Amino acid sequence: MPTVVVMDVSLSMTRPVSIEGSEEYQRKHLAAHGLTMLFEHMATNYKLEFTALVVFSSLWELMVPFTRDYNTLQEALSNMDDYDKTCLESALVGVCNIVQQEWGGAIPCQIVLVTDGCLGIGRGSLRHSLATQNQRSESNRFPLPFPFPSKLYIMCMANLEELQSTDSLECLERLIDLNNGEGQIFTIDGPLCLKNVQSMFGKLIDLAYTPFHAVLKCGHLTADVQVFPRPEPFVVDEEIDPVPKVINTDLEIVGFIDIADISSPPVLSRHLVLPIALNKEGDEVGTGITDDNEDENSANQIAGKIPNFCVLLHGSLKVEGMVAIVQLGPEWHGMLYSQADSKKKSNLMMSLFEPGPEPLPWLGKMAQLGPISDAKENPYGEDDNKSPFPLQPKNKRSYAQNVTVWIKPSGLQTDVQKILRNARKLPEKTQTFYKELNRLRKAALAFGFLDLLKGVADMLERECTLLPETAHPDAAFQLTHAAQQLKLASTGTCLAFWAPQLQQSSDHNLMRFQARTT
Amino acid sequence: MKIFSESHKTVFVVDHCPYMAESCRQHVEFDMLVKNRTQGIIPLAPISKSLWTCSVESSMEYCRIMYDIFPFKKLVNFIVSDSGAHVLNSWTQEDQNLQELMAALAAVGPPNPRADPECCSILHGLVAAVETLCKITEYQHEARTLLMENAERVGNRGRIICITNAKSDSHVRMLEDCVQETIHEHNKLAANSDHFSLSLMQIQKCELVLIHTYPVGEDSLVSDRPKKELSPVLTSEVHSVRAGRHLATKLNILVQQHFDLASTTITNIPMKEEQHANTSANYDVELLHHKDAHVDFLKSGDSHLGGGSREGPFKETITLKWCTPRTNNIVFSSISELHYCTGAYRISPVDVNSRPSSCLTNFLLNDPRYKIDGSLEVPLERAKDQLEKHTRYWPMIISQTTIFNMQAVVPLASVIVKESLTEEDVLNCQKTIYNLVDMERKNDPLPISTVGTRGKGPKRDEQYRIMWNELETLVRAHINNSEKHQRVLECLMACRSKPPEEEERKKRGRKREDKEDKSEKAVKDYEQEKSWQDSERLKGILERGKEELAEAEIIKDSPDSPEPPNKKPLVEMDETPQVEKSKGPVSLLSLWSNRINTANSRKHQEFAGRLNSVNNRAELYQHLKEENGMETTENGKASRQ
Repeated sequence: MPTVVVMDVSLSMTRPVSIEGSEEYQRKHLAAHGLTMLFEHMATNYKLEFTALVVFSSLWELMVPFTRDYNTLQEALSNMDDYDKTCLESALVGVCNIVQQEWGGAIPCQIVLVTDGCLGIGRGSLRHSLATQNQRSESNRFPLPFPFPSKLYIMCMANLEELQSTDSLECLERLIDLNNGEGQIFTIDGPLCLKNVQSMFGKLIDLAYTPFHAVLKCGHLTADVQVFPRPEPFVVDEEIDPVPKVINTDLEIVGFIDIADISSPPVLSRHLVLPIALNKEGDEVGTGITDDNEDENSANQIAGKIPNFCVLLHGSLKVEGMVAIVQLGPEWHGMLYSQADSKKKSNLMMSLFEPGPEPLPWLGKMAQLGPISDAKENPYGEDDNKSPFPLQPKNKRSYAQNVTVWIKPSGLQTDVQKILRNARKLPEKTQTFYKELNRLRKAALAFGFLDLLKGVADMLERECTLLPETAHPDAAFQLTHAAQQLKLASTGTCLAFWAPQLQQSSDHNLMRFQARTT
Repeated sequence: MKIFSESHKTVFVVDHCPYMAESCRQHVEFDMLVKNRTQGIIPLAPISKSLWTCSVESSMEYCRIMYDIFPFKKLVNFIVSDSGAHVLNSWTQEDQNLQELMAALAAVGPPNPRADPECCSILHGLVAAVETLCKITEYQHEARTLLMENAERVGNRGRIICITNAKSDSHVRMLEDCVQETIHEHNKLAANSDHFSLSLMQIQKCELVLIHTYPVGEDSLVSDRPKKELSPVLTSEVHSVRAGRHLATKLNILVQQHFDLASTTITNIPMKEEQHANTSANYDVELLHHKDAHVDFLKSGDSHLGGGSREGPFKETITLKWCTPRTNNIVFSSISELHYCTGAYRISPVDVNSRPSSCLTNFLLNDPRYKIDGSLEVPLERAKDQLEKHTRYWPMIISQTTIFNMQAVVPLASVIVKESLTEEDVLNCQKTIYNLVDMERKNDPLPISTVGTRGKGPKRDEQYRIMWNELETLVRAHINNSEKHQRVLECLMACRSKPPEEEERKKRGRKREDKEDKSEKAVKDYEQEKSWQDSERLKGILERGKEELAEAEIIKDSPDSPEPPNKKPLVEMDETPQVEKSKGPVSLLSLWSNRINTANSRKHQEFAGRLNSVNNRAELYQHLKEENGMETTENGKASRQ
């Protein structure tokens, strides 16, 4: 999940902060301090996160495009100039463009907006933007909600009292609301000082940047892994089950299945599964002290020498062309598979299916999947030349069951012509002739379209008179019989004739007649 | 997303009164003359559908599309109304398919034009529709049971689609009032009767869609009215539609609105005109599906919004160009590759019977892999159980295992992991063991030893010991599966048994030898100590099962990593084997010494005296004792055969 840091570099950020007994700080220094902490945390725990840095005042500028090089980001922080007034809307438009260019509209993105709560004045100020928000045309619509899945975190270099003294807080809350409630506002608790800024950014880290650690299990084989990006909670049904579901930290493999059988299933999200070495201190937030890094490196070195289940799993899945089905929670599954980055490099990845007992209809219910050895006969055949998947639905869809639709005249004409074609090839085509005739009769009865039955009866009688002299005597016999039967049905004299059970037996009558005469 | 929105329950109320037998006055030519037929035949007169036929076939088309795209959880209840209400099906999932509905409609038949119009009314059907909306569906019931005290979260909403021929706007108003009144009464009833609360629910929201249909060419006596809230529970809209294809089009638009559908047209699909034609023409097929399928398209701003489709009912359709899958790659490429897929949606062709549509759907359905096997219905728990058994002993590195590199062990290794063994399995296992004994007697080489050993000698014997230990570990991991597993172990132990005192002596001797070897080579002691401790610490943190601990041990012993020092840990090592052994599955020592011995044996040929030394003291004149021992062993073997 990429991050865009949006940093306010308007003049108001240079307002001094009075700190007793030390050199004078400005708000932007506090902001830089907080961001440094965030970057250091990411460099240690969130190495794969792409982050971009945007600065804005009345204009905006992409200082650092998406990168994993946190040194570059750090350097950019210390090279920021001061500019004029705050103009949030244009900056947010900029963020939209940057993210969509790089990631499109489907990748979730986190936006960290760092500002002092002074929202600008006049045109382009947030107040002005919000006031005119409803009078926009499609071309200059307000950039929120972002056109991609997003979280907007607003880091205020101000405390709550200060924001509440104006309508700043309200305006910022409006912003979160406009983003469909996706996001949060952070303010400094207590006086503005380095320590309190740290604790504010600490809260952001806890909320949005804690790595997701899990144990991957397959029977007795296990591996500690980091799942990246962090899987987000999922709401199945906002009404009956509004509590967001989170995935287990024990990821248990329940079985393996051919890629061909699972065939590119729809997924909620994809994640890298990275083996990790937990050091003794656990996964505490790295504060960027070099000792920690060394410790971690040595832990990684040891880990590098220990055969890891992830390696075995990844290699096996790749070689076998299979995926592992993994249990993520109650009635929630996902799959582990090898994903090729390039020709040489591939990764172990995990995709999450939608929660539910049957996320992939062609596999049936997940709980009903079992080991091949339990089947009486190997469902894949002795030579591995067949597959039990995809499962046939119990009721075929309309396009697989030859339904009759006569809404367009052409549908009706095609069906009538089929009967006529076969009628002219009697008695060879007796079988198909009655099959088509019965199909038409069944539909006509269901639609109450009795005129059609009479019409087709007339048509068959006419065909009978047109038979050449060389025709087989049976042809005339079948045509006459069929016409009679249709006429009988079209009069609707006998309701019982239409009852579904009896209708089948009447189908039989037609067929039996045919059997006797041929 | 809500499961229990208005579209969970749809009630169709179709008027079956005498006037519905009237013609829609739209003619259909059905007797199309085929070319090169006898001249001079006058085609039969065109026929026309009745209002009833138009209503039924349009509502069936609505249901067809709905069932295709939502085979579950979207339910239809079909009611026809004349002198009374005839409810044709129920909310149960088994009743939810076109065949059932068509059969029931055939049983009802067309309206009788000679029936007394005074006795007939659409009101009967509307009242029945409200009643049926109060009835709980199996999905609602299931959700309520599951949610227990939160059962009230399960909503009860529904939609009534009424197709009738109304007399005037005030007639329509009367119908609406009737529905509202009935809902009010039934809600009171459902609220007051705890007794019924298991099967009845109050209606929270009802959408009434009144469709007034009349013959083509007549003036409508009823005016259209957009959706309007009649009460907090009831909204109503009125559509005045000419019968025939106009009615079908209206219902097609409605099904799209009601179920959030969108249209995609697949263009340029090459299709052959005749079965064996060499050339193909390109066709387009329009499909309906949930509109979520378009979300990413629309977001990306790259929408291929085409104009209205030729037939016109849909405002917009997204066009996609067909890409023929490369057939020769189907097995190896398209299917064996995973593509990133953010959504899969059920589809329904707009024009299901047209040749291009059926050609496309048949292509997609004619998958040779399309087979079903009911025998696969085994719970997932069994699969987990099997994984547990299969991984009880699973060396992760090829060079760490002997038995899994030996073809001769396969018959045993493949069945021992089973939950239960047949007599034949046991026999095969025993055969495998005898075969190994035989190999040992013949001094056949083993896969591990080939690297290090030069010529035959005591080393070969050592390799077999390693192999037997590993095999024992494997079998021991499964002895609790069944009594037959136990028998395999017994056979194994009997076959590898040596006179106890000799075995013991040898064992001790080897331990010493291990130490010796290490002490010779141990140079970077400090480093090793550190890594030893690190990995000890690691183990502690991970707190895994015994097997995992064992793995960590083995791993440390892999050729790349530093060897453990010959200092204190070794004292512990002396104790561990007994404990481990008695506990069964994994013997740390045996696995440990396997590695060390292999590693060392590669480097030099061991001095025979040291090999058999105890505390660095070699016993002299061993061969005397050895010979005695050998005799017994051979006797033992002979007695077995």
